Amino acid sequence: MFDVLKTPEDRKAFQEQVSVADKGIHSFLELDATKKECKNPSGPLAFIPFGVKDNIAVEGFHLTCASKILENFVSPYNATAVEKLEAAGGIVVGKTNMDEFGMGSSTDFSAFGGTNNPWNKECVTGGSSGGSAAAVAAGLVPVALGSDTGGSIRQPAAFCGVYGLKPTYGAVSRYGLVAYASSLDVIGVLSKDLDLTEKVFNVIKGQDWHDQTSIAYPSEPAKPVKGRLSFTYLEGDLGLSPEIEKGYKALIQAIKDKGFEIKGVQVPSLEYVIPVYYTIATAEASANLARYNGIRYGHRSKEGETPMDLMEKSRNEGFGDEVKLRILLGTYVLRSGFQDQYYIKAQKIRTKIIDDFKNIFSSSDIFVAPAFPSQAFKHGNAGLTPYQQKVADKFTVTANLTGMPALSIPVGVENGLPVGMQLFANYCSENLLFDAARELSDVFPVADAPEAL
Amino acid sequence: MIESFIGLEIHIQLLTKTKVFCNCKNEFTHVPNSHVCPVCMGYPGVLPVLNEEAVRKAYIVCRAMNCHLNEKAVFDRKNYFYPDMPKNYQISQFNSPFGVKGLIEMDGMPKVRIHDAHLEEDAGKLVHEGMTSYCDYNRAGTPLLEIVTEPDFKKPEEAELFMQNFRKMVRYLGVCDGNMEEGSMRCDVNVSVNFEGKGLGRKVEVKNLNSFRHVKLALQYEIQRQSRMITAGESVVQETRLWNDEKKRTEGMRSKENANDYRYFPEPDLPPYCPTKEFLAQIDAAQVELPWVRKKRFIDEYGLNEDGAEFLTEEKDKADFFENAVKGGISVANAASWMRGEVAKDLNKAKKSLCDSFLTVEKFVTVIKLLEAEKINAQAAKKVMDIIINEDADPMQVIEKNNLMQTADSGEVEAMVEKLLAENTKVVAQIKGGDQKPIGFLIGQLMKVSGGKADPKKARELILNKISQLG
Repeated sequence: MFDVLKTPEDRKAFQEQVSVADKGIHSFLELDATKKECKNPSGPLAFIPFGVKDNIAVEGFHLTCASKILENFVSPYNATAVEKLEAAGGIVVGKTNMDEFGMGSSTDFSAFGGTNNPWNKECVTGGSSGGSAAAVAAGLVPVALGSDTGGSIRQPAAFCGVYGLKPTYGAVSRYGLVAYASSLDVIGVLSKDLDLTEKVFNVIKGQDWHDQTSIAYPSEPAKPVKGRLSFTYLEGDLGLSPEIEKGYKALIQAIKDKGFEIKGVQVPSLEYVIPVYYTIATAEASANLARYNGIRYGHRSKEGETPMDLMEKSRNEGFGDEVKLRILLGTYVLRSGFQDQYYIKAQKIRTKIIDDFKNIFSSSDIFVAPAFPSQAFKHGNAGLTPYQQKVADKFTVTANLTGMPALSIPVGVENGLPVGMQLFANYCSENLLFDAARELSDVFPVADAPEAL
Repeated sequence: MIESFIGLEIHIQLLTKTKVFCNCKNEFTHVPNSHVCPVCMGYPGVLPVLNEEAVRKAYIVCRAMNCHLNEKAVFDRKNYFYPDMPKNYQISQFNSPFGVKGLIEMDGMPKVRIHDAHLEEDAGKLVHEGMTSYCDYNRAGTPLLEIVTEPDFKKPEEAELFMQNFRKMVRYLGVCDGNMEEGSMRCDVNVSVNFEGKGLGRKVEVKNLNSFRHVKLALQYEIQRQSRMITAGESVVQETRLWNDEKKRTEGMRSKENANDYRYFPEPDLPPYCPTKEFLAQIDAAQVELPWVRKKRFIDEYGLNEDGAEFLTEEKDKADFFENAVKGGISVANAASWMRGEVAKDLNKAKKSLCDSFLTVEKFVTVIKLLEAEKINAQAAKKVMDIIINEDADPMQVIEKNNLMQTADSGEVEAMVEKLLAENTKVVAQIKGGDQKPIGFLIGQLMKVSGGKADPKKARELILNKISQLG
């Protein structure tokens, strides 16, 4: 099936075909199918072309994070996840577009121009892994790596009609993932092929000495708490668009029709996830992004008169507005005397949310929720304001705050745009997510975008 | 009356093979940016990996200072921008460091409470040349242990003495070389003054102190400056000042450099460190008798004087050497005087320390035992000592080769004396005439012709006897 990269001629042809097809989409920031060889022709991922989000290090490729401040930065090393992909025979063919440093839900906050949704080019792909989602939806690559800090894999997967896995925090090494919010960040997989998504996850997971927050993933698959998969869903008015409302109901109905147990729950702590998420994420980001100062690498201002001045000007010129906003917010919540009020309080609520979800998963396996309250919105002013976008992250950020895995699945197409839902599970229960998605895949088969390759 | 309050913040670079969060070598080099990697350079996407050896050495110090060891030590990010800080935050420990609430007791010094001891990473170095600034990140990521004392010192001399003993302690423990000039041990001081009985005054921090002397001078200067101010009714500004050694004064920093809010928060890249029982047992096993305790014991147990005990406990190697030599059966007086005298002199000449010279306790004891049994004389012993310090030689062979055994055959020496007197009739006449001075010359000549085998103590008597026999 994936023989497209076997010979140098194949690669050249692939390169030409994909670069042409990507012209109207702009999912890749860098595309070069000739750079990497297959390192394991008999490996489980032999010759499979990969797109990799541009905040994940691939030796010899740029690592811009879609930011001007890293515009010319070429990675001297491989992320552990990339190292494992290559060892399994996969071939990285390019780096995909994203919101700058992963901060956004549209990919329009890329310093190098946004990405168009392959279903409707007037619409965004979602974000921040919008390039990876679009590349997969448009059939440019069978699979791509993304990263998820607050929904950055699952929301664009939903917008583009593909599967998107956010693994358990620590299941996949973060070494080589440019940090946005270290306690929330995780590398994951986007693909139209559920089996391939699972296969890639199984290749990239595992403890890594480079990342002391990585975990020893259990070798035994998780078992359903009641012997057979059981589900929960969110009750009440969730503020969904009609299309999403319809999709959510259809999903719940499909689960019932298949004869699985499903019950409604209320999770009051969900009301707090947005402020908690933005407090923790921006606090960590304010420190994580402090290293970009134009001294050792990256954009350097021509104006600096003293070392301190040089750093200030380089940062001012190099970062986009959304990134500056989040750095300022993070600096604000961490300032001396206010930590109890913001950062520490947010951590306490986070613990409460974790308890709530542990409780849910003590009696059921899968929690289903929308990925986003609406379908893909339009670019620019016709779409959602940055504030509306942040508030709408409430269904996704929860999994990052708890560290539990979640899988975005397509559940149909409405008005020419995909509808996506999420499945959540307990820690290290990715296998249950895949099992559940497989059960539902005949009801909700993956649809191809209009001009997909 | 004005009281002063002094606290110390001591940074020690831990002696580890590699840096604290990466595999780069932790050693000094003159080639800028040669011991660096993506981790210690703060490249995008890298993560810190905690060095167990640094953790172990940090805990050894905490235990030696009788600290309470936190069950769960947490790393924090300390945020501030400076070009020599690769990440523009320093990984340190704030709320839950390795050790807290320690206590150090030394003779002749108030009890010193340790506020905490925390592990952190060193920054790189910024070198300014004309209008250009250069960054060298070799030092970035060197493991640093910062020890913060409570303001328990009253006098600059106490702080200085404490520093000297603290330096000995970390060298005894083998965790730091204690070199202040090269910056492997650094010290900032906190000092405040107030009218007696009024408690702590407003604290001033003084940085840039590169020697014990600077610590003392800066404290003396600050105490005078602050005392003058409060006496004149002015209030002291809480600030950080720098010691200017050329002008012998402290100077305020620009207010911008003073206005840091470090915005501490837990380091999300490193899990909390929870020492296991086995680990703590290792830490206990690595403890040694501390230098000031050992010094006191040397005075009490061996009857050494203050200076002698001070000299012998300066370094752990030396103190061990001394005790092993005494255990080896030589007298305390000989062990001490030979180590302070001839051995120290020879080592100094050879520019070597005890541990990197060829001298071993066994060889030392062999030589001193022969001396004590009057098998060799002091002059011969000195000669042997010099050789076995500089060469990998067996003392017995050296003695034989150089024919240094004191001759038991008194007839042989007598013959030599007779010959000598016959050759120096003028001198003999002088002595006979009542002038005792030239006798030293004769003893010297005898030692020379006997190749040092004659016993100088007995030589004088023998010569005088022979002269009187000449009639």
